[in-house]
Amino acid sequence: MSRTIRVIKPGLETTVQDWPGLKGAFRYGFNHSGAIDHWSFRLANLLVGNKPGAPGLEAQFIGPTLLFESDQLFALTGANMQATLDGKSIPCWQTLEASAGQRLALGSAISGARTYIAFSGGIIAKPFLGSCSTHTMAQAGGINGRKLEINDEINIHSSTQTQKFTTPELIRPPKAKEKYWEIEMVVGPCDDWISDQGHQLFINSEWIVSPRSNRMGVRLEGPPLDFSSRAIDKAPEHGSHPSNCVDIGYPVGGINLCGDTPVVLLHEGLTGGGFIVPFTVPSSEFSKVGQARPHEIFKFKAVSVQQSQSKRHEINEICQTKNLRKLGD
Amino acid sequence: MMIEFGNDGAIELNFMALGLMHLIRDQKVHGIIDTTPSYNSLLVEYEPSDISDNDLKKELQKLFLSLGSVEEIEIESRLAYLPCCYLDPWTKAAIEDYCQKVKKREFDPDFVARINGLEDRHQLVRVHSGTEHWVASVMALPGCALMRPLDPRCLLTSPKYNPPRLWTPENAVCTGGMSTSIHTLRVPGGYNLIGRTPVPVYEASQNSPPFKKQVTLLQPGDRVKFIPIDAHEYKYIRQELKKGKYSFRTTDYIKFSVHAWKAWVKTLNYQERF
Repeated sequence: MSRTIRVIKPGLETTVQDWPGLKGAFRYGFNHSGAIDHWSFRLANLLVGNKPGAPGLEAQFIGPTLLFESDQLFALTGANMQATLDGKSIPCWQTLEASAGQRLALGSAISGARTYIAFSGGIIAKPFLGSCSTHTMAQAGGINGRKLEINDEINIHSSTQTQKFTTPELIRPPKAKEKYWEIEMVVGPCDDWISDQGHQLFINSEWIVSPRSNRMGVRLEGPPLDFSSRAIDKAPEHGSHPSNCVDIGYPVGGINLCGDTPVVLLHEGLTGGGFIVPFTVPSSEFSKVGQARPHEIFKFKAVSVQQSQSKRHEINEICQTKNLRKLGD
Repeated sequence: MMIEFGNDGAIELNFMALGLMHLIRDQKVHGIIDTTPSYNSLLVEYEPSDISDNDLKKELQKLFLSLGSVEEIEIESRLAYLPCCYLDPWTKAAIEDYCQKVKKREFDPDFVARINGLEDRHQLVRVHSGTEHWVASVMALPGCALMRPLDPRCLLTSPKYNPPRLWTPENAVCTGGMSTSIHTLRVPGGYNLIGRTPVPVYEASQNSPPFKKQVTLLQPGDRVKFIPIDAHEYKYIRQELKKGKYSFRTTDYIKFSVHAWKAWVKTLNYQERF
């Protein structure tokens, strides 16, 4: 039998997401959607005995208030939104238990940007192109293809899970150090549109996260980059600005240069367009990009494709139930 | 991984991108999740635990070599007939809103006609609807096709809005750079607005017949013929769609031969006006 949770307050922008989101429809203009900080998201699911990619909630900056209409195991990971259960403070990064009639209230994020809420059993949502993630642009997936609204009912699959866990500090994703994030990136696909000087400047500069950032992308403020001859001396169909090019597909995580503004493209960004993508943030760094707050600072570090892929593999190894600590042992 | 086929916007580069895309799909290369073509490139998404970066590069090089010359490429293609209300009142309202709130500009169809050396907006309609448009890519927005005319005499070029428009009515038919596109959603945009189609080119609910198997009407390699209609007919088609009675008009798949297309282009009389 399924169980129900009622939305009392939706929060700023709370959506149903799964992981890794929609795959195979990029070619039709549908971006991946799905949880951005997939590391925290997977741990939340494992804490309640779900598969790591099961549908849960992603709350951004201000979390929701939810009423449990049945007993329910749940877990919170990611940003700290000063959560309470019936007014009492509750911790993140461990399995928690709610009884029917209890209220879970999340406030504003005091660190990080996105909190993940997993419910034992996982959220029941209508899949769209093979994923339960909310695809806001297509108005599909999740709950009615949109962010949560007041009085929405969230239905949860039944579950027999009773084991509780906690997450050792060691397996949690890294946090900002004094507002600074070191973000690994790989060069390309359009790296030859930027001059050597431009490459140096990109690596050596501090990039401030703009408040105009969302699930489509994280906008960065910093110095204008210097372009190579390929960007300046080019066929007219590329457009007039050095950052313009004949339309290309944008990889998720691509650092899109729109005029002088770099934008790290995220899971609901445009899938292509007429601006170059000189660098790409690999998915292994999305836990950082997804938790960055406005006015925090990115410092980029170039790594090879192979290095970024081994880091991705490491995170896959970390996000396993065997790495959690059982509570009550 | 991104494969670049050249450094300009020549349509032959897109034929190569689509040729390689079909080879990859036919060969079912292990580890490749998605292939997204654009005008002169192909974006390949892969699962690194199934295929390494180096092996993928080798595999793609091998397939590219087996593609042969661009003349030999044949691409699965079908023709979709899309009614289009050119010079419609809805896109006109979006342009007027921009003129009031952002800055004054010439009415888009007049602007595009003028900079392409056409007599007026009515000739623009004849030129734009006088060719099949090649779907080079579906990207940016869900179901949003980027198209180029197959008859080179119908090529229209125009700079995009600067700064961008605040909103675009959904299903607006617009031109920018060398492309025609259908903006599937009400979003900001930079393309010049010339008309609006009553027919949706994607449907998230996947209820109507053409969307049951695939979520978008148009795929890279398809062709579009715009049929000029007036605002009354536009409203009639919208009603038919609501009742579920509209029949989408698409042909069966054929092989589009680059060789045959090139031969046809050579026969064209460039003095002939529309």
